[in-house]
Amino acid sequence: MSAAARTVEHATCLGCGCACDDITVVVQRGRLTEAKRACALGTAWFGDGQVPDVVRIRGRAGTLERALSEATRLLREAKRPLVYLAGDISCEVQRDAVAIADRLKGAIDSLAGTAAPGVLAAQRRGRAGATLGELRQRADLVVFWGVDPDARYPRYSARYAVDPVGLALPAGRRSRRVIAVDVGDARGPADADGRVAIPPDAELDALGAMRAQVQGRTVAPDGPFGTAIALVHEMTKARYVALVADAEPGPTPSDPDRAEALIALAQALNDPTRCALSTLRGGGNRSGADAVLTWQTGFPFAVDFGRGYPTYRPHAGAAERLAGGEVDAALVIGAPATLPDSIARGLGGVATIAIGPRASAAGWKPVVAVDTGVAGIHEGGTAFRMDDVPLPLRPAFGGEDVRSAASTVRALRERLEGAA
Amino acid sequence: MTTPSRLRIAGGTVYDPANGVDGAVQDVCIEGDRIVAELPAGVPRLDVRGMVVMPGGVDIHAHVAGSSVNHARRLLPEEHAADPVPAPPLADGAPARSGTGGTVPSTFATGYRYAGLGYTTAMEAAVAPLAARHAHAELDDTPIIDSGFYVLLGNDDYLLRQIAAGETARARDYAGWLLGVTRAYAIKIVNPGGVTVWKGGGRNVSGLDDVVGSSAVTPRKILETLAGAANGLALPHPVHIHCNNLGQPGNSATTLESMRALAGRRAHFTHLQFHSYGGERGKGWKSAARDVIDYVNGHAELSVDVGQVMFGSATTVTADGPVEHLLYASSGRKWVNVDIELETGCGIVPYAYREQAAVAALQWAVGLELFLLAKDPWRVVLSTDHPNGGTFLSYPELIRLLMDRAYRDERLKGVNQKLLAGSALLDGLAREYTLGEIAIVTRAGPARLLGLPQKGHLGPGADADVTVYAPDADRAKMFAAPRYVIKGGTVVVEDGQLRRASAGARLAVRPDYDVAVKKDVKRFFDDYATVAFENYGAEP
Repeated sequence: MSAAARTVEHATCLGCGCACDDITVVVQRGRLTEAKRACALGTAWFGDGQVPDVVRIRGRAGTLERALSEATRLLREAKRPLVYLAGDISCEVQRDAVAIADRLKGAIDSLAGTAAPGVLAAQRRGRAGATLGELRQRADLVVFWGVDPDARYPRYSARYAVDPVGLALPAGRRSRRVIAVDVGDARGPADADGRVAIPPDAELDALGAMRAQVQGRTVAPDGPFGTAIALVHEMTKARYVALVADAEPGPTPSDPDRAEALIALAQALNDPTRCALSTLRGGGNRSGADAVLTWQTGFPFAVDFGRGYPTYRPHAGAAERLAGGEVDAALVIGAPATLPDSIARGLGGVATIAIGPRASAAGWKPVVAVDTGVAGIHEGGTAFRMDDVPLPLRPAFGGEDVRSAASTVRALRERLEGAA
Repeated sequence: MTTPSRLRIAGGTVYDPANGVDGAVQDVCIEGDRIVAELPAGVPRLDVRGMVVMPGGVDIHAHVAGSSVNHARRLLPEEHAADPVPAPPLADGAPARSGTGGTVPSTFATGYRYAGLGYTTAMEAAVAPLAARHAHAELDDTPIIDSGFYVLLGNDDYLLRQIAAGETARARDYAGWLLGVTRAYAIKIVNPGGVTVWKGGGRNVSGLDDVVGSSAVTPRKILETLAGAANGLALPHPVHIHCNNLGQPGNSATTLESMRALAGRRAHFTHLQFHSYGGERGKGWKSAARDVIDYVNGHAELSVDVGQVMFGSATTVTADGPVEHLLYASSGRKWVNVDIELETGCGIVPYAYREQAAVAALQWAVGLELFLLAKDPWRVVLSTDHPNGGTFLSYPELIRLLMDRAYRDERLKGVNQKLLAGSALLDGLAREYTLGEIAIVTRAGPARLLGLPQKGHLGPGADADVTVYAPDADRAKMFAAPRYVIKGGTVVVEDGQLRRASAGARLAVRPDYDVAVKKDVKRFFDDYATVAFENYGAEP
């Protein structure tokens, strides 16, 4: 190991919503050479720690000073500005970003909007949930509903719901029963102890029938949902059921009512036994964006400050505004690479300021681009796990190495809040 | 007017019960962020002749920040849409933030509204240690008021193991470590053992001697251990207890048994109203306020806050998961439950207390009985368990109910009387709180119970937190809109308008404990936790 080697333990990975905080990161000669215990997704997320350090104004290199002045001018002149919270920024940066939207009387949205159907369903019904560690301690029956976490949440099973020893489950995996519910091509884990197949067009009916059965309204066991009803019997006999579903959109769009049906089933199961619905969320601290917007505005995403106070426009978020030509300047904070396609496409036709990791490489040609470090790799702060557990970020690189998003966004906020 | 570093609040009628001042006309002098005994002539004056001067309000128990509160906010978009809070126009164009209100306001609105009510300190009453970092971030975004939080401990798996093993000293050291690492102010117990039973697949505990996992662990043992820990660690505020069986008919027996279990030890029993019911489960309710408050009156080591129910919208949000499941099952309203690993729970049900609902009317009456039968206002202080019994914005209405018997009797006529037989309120309670007593139950008392020597009074050296009210026969009107509020020497409310929004300070303890416990806790984390020991807590 060279003299310049630096090791950071207990680093938190934001590669997906699991936010594994057991990563040991090694930096040698200015490069990140190892992320121990990280999965393939995490290894790719940490990368080699190299990020561009460019400030670009209308395609040409510029100073940060000029970039901030130009950004301030553009945003102040905009009539319908949009702030978008992309991935890989800390909650501290998100807090400043919401302050900017408030000051501009603009709209603000975030990556958390990708899971809108689940958030809206929970706003209608509530939810029965748990932090991931509680599933670890208690869940003796784990039902993966149309999802194999290995693909997008690789360490979910190993760290949380399936493999580890828990207080009530001393033998770990052997103490638990795992059921895969295959909804068409959306299949549960291959190594499940049992499987239930449900055609996609029958998913909602199956969930409804299961709930009816839980509530004591007997559903014919030899009817079309016989296997689902058999699963209900297993669930009600278990001591603590973890019902796991993906909250992020999959390759094929799912019924918008599915999220609500899952919540209703999980809630109903708390009458005969205990049940928590675990909704899988993507990475980049999107759950932090949801939490910060909620505490600062009362709404989790798709907020509009246009009237001088926050209003909720869950069906007119950033994608809809951009597609409808309702945005005349956009401030994107975070990594452009994390943007959903619908947002990235829409930004093409708008004067945009990008501040974040690899902002200068954004395909939609920002008017002003300021590269920064990545939260959790180059700068610290707080991020939220998919279950809203806050975690500290432990940067592998020292603060002086890379321009921070925190200081850049704070400087922009101060300019916008200062006298015109 | 700018905010001078020296200010004479001149000629007001001062209520400063901690210093024995009960309606005397005198000046209050401020230098920097402190009260001072005297200032030279010629310093800037605020002429408040004819007005009422009190220390800034101190809320001993409210739910204003952290993960449970944020789950509640997320659940209530309809309330937020209905109660927009534009950014206040601050002096000199200083930046201010907009937000939303309802029963669970956004953080900035929370700070502004507390200050607008003359409150300058508020304690968040229930934070899961796992989410302490989140609570601090929200409090950082809650302007003006000084704040701190109580950390949840009564259902913590590591703690219960220590109790099972008879390791009382280690339990105390664990509490000391946890308070420090989460930057908390006090220990909170919610339904001791009951949440653990709920998380383990059961329903709840029913009394102090139910077994929780190990036969050595009972609610009684949890109470004794943590009360001992709080006193052993010499915490400024004793253990803060939400008893078993909240909201159940007949629960006064459990409440009294809990108090007796801790006889002779300092302890604070919170939202006592929710724990003072007679009757029997399945057979009906009645008031048991007199029995409970008689016991409190006779035991100087105990203190309580009332947790008054106010008619109108509320949101029940608590670590008491099993209670919220019951409320969900009986009300059919939307419901959030979040079990929190190795520590506690969280349950939320939006609610409304209606005059015509028999149980709500009983709850309202029980709270008022507790207030009116209390002998020592220093130990029976004001709360609505915001937003559980009503929001903090209803405090002025509550003050009117306490100060104005005619108004109270009029309101009493309008409520459902079905369950009020035997209530002292129905028999006619003549007592009317004085302004001096209101100053005790809303500032001097809570500050003393919290062990905050710099709060709740106007003596030299106190924090310069001062509220000035224009007298009004309608006490609700008077207390809803102070003319001036001074926080830490800054005039934040001027002529009834919020004009400045300074940042509040954080109140936290860092008790001494035997650090050997850390090694053992780390082992437990390595075996069971999903967050690294090193990443736990909220140290900067």
